Amino acid sequence: MAYEALDFYDVDSLLSEEERMVRDMVRDWVDEEVIPNIENACREGLFPDEWRVALGEMGVLGAPLKGYGCPGLSYAAYGVICRELERGDSGLRSFASVQGSLAMYPIWDFGSEEQKKKYLPKMASGEWIGCFGLTEPDYGSNPGDMITKAEDKGDHYLINGAKMWITNGTIAEVAVVWAKLDGVIRGFIIEKNDPGFSAPEMKGKHSLKASVTSELVFQDCKIPKDRMLPGVKGLRGPFSCLNNARFGISWGALGSAQACFDSAKEYAMSRIQFNHPIASYQLVQNKLAWMLREITKGQLLAYHLAQKKDAGTWIPEHISLAKMNNVDIALEIARVARDIHGANGILDEYPIMRHMANLESVKTYEGTHDIHNLIIGRHITGIQAFTREA
Amino acid sequence: MVKLKHEKTFGENRGLNMNIAVLLKQVPDTTAKIIISGGKVDENSVSKWSMSPYDEYALESGLQMKEKNGGALIAITCGPDRSKKMLTDAAAVGADTLVHISDEGVSDSTHVQQLLAAAIMKYEADVVLCGKQAADTNAGSTGPGVAEILEATCVTLVSEVNYTDGKYITMRPSNTGSEKVSTQGTSVFAFDKGTVELRRPNVRGIMMAKKKNIESITSSDLDVDLNNSNINLDSQTPPPEKAEGQKFEGAENVPIVVSKLRNEANVI
Amino acid sequence: MMNFTIIAETNGENLHPTTYQLIGAASSIGSKSIVICPNGKAESEAASIEGVEKVISVVGDCFDIFDGGAWSTALNTVCEGKILISASPNGREIGARLAAKRNIPIIQDIVSISEGIVVKRPIYSGKAVETLTVSGDAVITLRPNAFEAAELGGAAPINTVNQSADIKISIQEAINKASERLDVTEADIIISGGRGMGTIENFSHLEDIADIVDAAVGASRAVVDEWGMPHRMQVGQTGKTVTPSLYIAVGISGAIQHLAGMRSSKYILAINKDPDAPIFGVADYGIVATWEEAIPALKSALSELKS
Repeated sequence: MAYEALDFYDVDSLLSEEERMVRDMVRDWVDEEVIPNIENACREGLFPDEWRVALGEMGVLGAPLKGYGCPGLSYAAYGVICRELERGDSGLRSFASVQGSLAMYPIWDFGSEEQKKKYLPKMASGEWIGCFGLTEPDYGSNPGDMITKAEDKGDHYLINGAKMWITNGTIAEVAVVWAKLDGVIRGFIIEKNDPGFSAPEMKGKHSLKASVTSELVFQDCKIPKDRMLPGVKGLRGPFSCLNNARFGISWGALGSAQACFDSAKEYAMSRIQFNHPIASYQLVQNKLAWMLREITKGQLLAYHLAQKKDAGTWIPEHISLAKMNNVDIALEIARVARDIHGANGILDEYPIMRHMANLESVKTYEGTHDIHNLIIGRHITGIQAFTREA
Repeated sequence: MVKLKHEKTFGENRGLNMNIAVLLKQVPDTTAKIIISGGKVDENSVSKWSMSPYDEYALESGLQMKEKNGGALIAITCGPDRSKKMLTDAAAVGADTLVHISDEGVSDSTHVQQLLAAAIMKYEADVVLCGKQAADTNAGSTGPGVAEILEATCVTLVSEVNYTDGKYITMRPSNTGSEKVSTQGTSVFAFDKGTVELRRPNVRGIMMAKKKNIESITSSDLDVDLNNSNINLDSQTPPPEKAEGQKFEGAENVPIVVSKLRNEANVI
Repeated sequence: MMNFTIIAETNGENLHPTTYQLIGAASSIGSKSIVICPNGKAESEAASIEGVEKVISVVGDCFDIFDGGAWSTALNTVCEGKILISASPNGREIGARLAAKRNIPIIQDIVSISEGIVVKRPIYSGKAVETLTVSGDAVITLRPNAFEAAELGGAAPINTVNQSADIKISIQEAINKASERLDVTEADIIISGGRGMGTIENFSHLEDIADIVDAAVGASRAVVDEWGMPHRMQVGQTGKTVTPSLYIAVGISGAIQHLAGMRSSKYILAINKDPDAPIFGVADYGIVATWEEAIPALKSALSELKS
């Protein structure tokens, strides 16, 4: 049976014809090129370069950005692309999220005309890979206190510091890095061959194995003056990027959940124990029904958020809610799906534990679950509860 | 019988104006469940509609022919309203003109062929490509039937078609392997699955396809008279229930099983 | 009781068995057949079949190669009424052209016929069956091996007519290559081997059978992982999902991962020496035997059938 995504309330029928055609294009590609190869990519710990090429050829990178060779699709289309990619693997979707929302978007929104013309077309085509340097070894949920520093040396900037947990870092041609210039956070475009810059790969991951995760190391890294993003100062810069990526993740997580549900359902229908398929037992049905419930709720959340994003009636807290909820339920669904698969669930013959391990990262990056909780708590009460200080 | 209005001759300059007609049919996806209700297949319960698989090979071949020789690709379908979506999908990979003939509930293949042939002439096609058979009827009458109405040559089960120096060169199976054959003049080619890789759409193609107009025509626009058919569809029913599995001890039962495979199951 | 016009098909110089089946189908509803032999082939054989009213042998150089248009033009003048043809590739093409030429309907690939005339044919790749009543002239093509063959025992007259028609196809090049064996995703019949086959070399026996029935050869994951069979042959959870008309599983126990890849096959034949192997739970036909005993028997039974 070809993959049929669970869509109990027929939410996809609300999408436009164009959005559904984009969905089908990505879904077919994931079926043909990703699913047959993902377990091997995961075992080997590599991101197949053919996927970068295919994503570029399909034209899905930087989906909601307009102009400069970018697709110019709706946010709903961007969401659908993320969902279909993550049905394949969260690492694959991470590649696209970083490329589009974290590397292309800041250049598109805050860059100079020259910067946009130089970088965006090649990033949209997939020729140049981008990455996003915000998180540091000692500054994760608290990016505002970052210590990576940029100094104005007259005819160039000098960057010193280190970034960590950077998707695509080792394979990127372009890095959008946030550093403090005279105490104010600014964005800088670093290129692969800039002197004093290196991007070693982080090895030994149990999660997002088919994705490249790196450190970015700046040791007197020298970059020309025209590399600073002129259009933004402070945390608003990186947070704007994160909002876009988080939006994509709220859809993406559903893809992962749908894949786990689909596998659990097929398995439960086929696995015979005590002479009956386990799908006929009440405890198993309860689990499947719960999964359907959460996926359906998550779909409606994501869909409505996309409408608000496209209409411009959104606030960051809306995105926090959807990212937090959908990733949280996706991880729980993966765990329950593993339970339904029994011992078979630990083999990479089934996608379950790969999704489960991936979702641990997805729950942590782009704002941890707890941080998003506090963002909403602050919205409700007006009182920030991130720090002890006022 | 209807006759082609134009007698086309091919010279070196024709390349730029070649009209390639591709006949497409929308069918339930080959993985979709088929549910019978009230003695008929319930189309509303079909979860997914797709372009008939062999037609995809015809379309890809047409696109490659257009890329090599220039010209325009005309995608034609005869079907209900929902089949217009398939034409948009064809546009997303490069079809230039989209023609939807309303089937007006007609399913008799001879009538469908008449409508298609009339459209092929109306749009002045120089060559016609189609799948060898549709995945719903599995019949295979359309290609040769349309060729007959057009008084054109037809080659079926082709895996590729090329156009050079006024001739169509195509590959079809033969008793000993395959053979390269050529045809001249208006030809219809019915495609089997080939080695050619089917192209994917991309976002640019999808966005341009969205804007593409679908020309909707009816039997009266085409001057085709859909007279009464002498076939009556009595019913559509589920396939006969499969018998319980039969188990045999020992290899001496192999011949019995083989004859059951032929006579009971009809699979060899 | 009207006559049917039957277009004969040959296999070399002899009639193809399907021609006997067409005549048998006509007889089964009390009709006689007028058999048309294209290219003058096998006319005497046709005349000696029970149920044949007369044979019309059509000769001409338009039959030199297969051009459906030329053949149907030449045969059209001697056709009348309801026309039966085998649903072979050539038969379907000739049938469709005759129907369009005569402006009559065509029904392809029927599997049963009864008085009325009422015919049944599978649709949606066998997921449903269509029952149709034919009231006037029509072309009907019959699925091979779905009808009982007529016997020899007749003595019909033979008429020879000359016909000509323009051949519009010319052969440029014959490529006599043995066609590559089909891939598991394309084949209508698959024969798969598992650990029970013993060694990878023993797969050659399965390949022999595949050659006889034009099947693809598949493998279970154990055989791919442990014996180095190519991954593209793997059927199952991490291999291919297949939906052939017939899946023959030899020495495969039927673990859930394998079943996931082939349980939607139309018919499943399982051969395994263990009577409790789970594969027998999904098989339509099961043979409890070692492959060493069953495969040679299968090979000879299938060869006989195909000859």
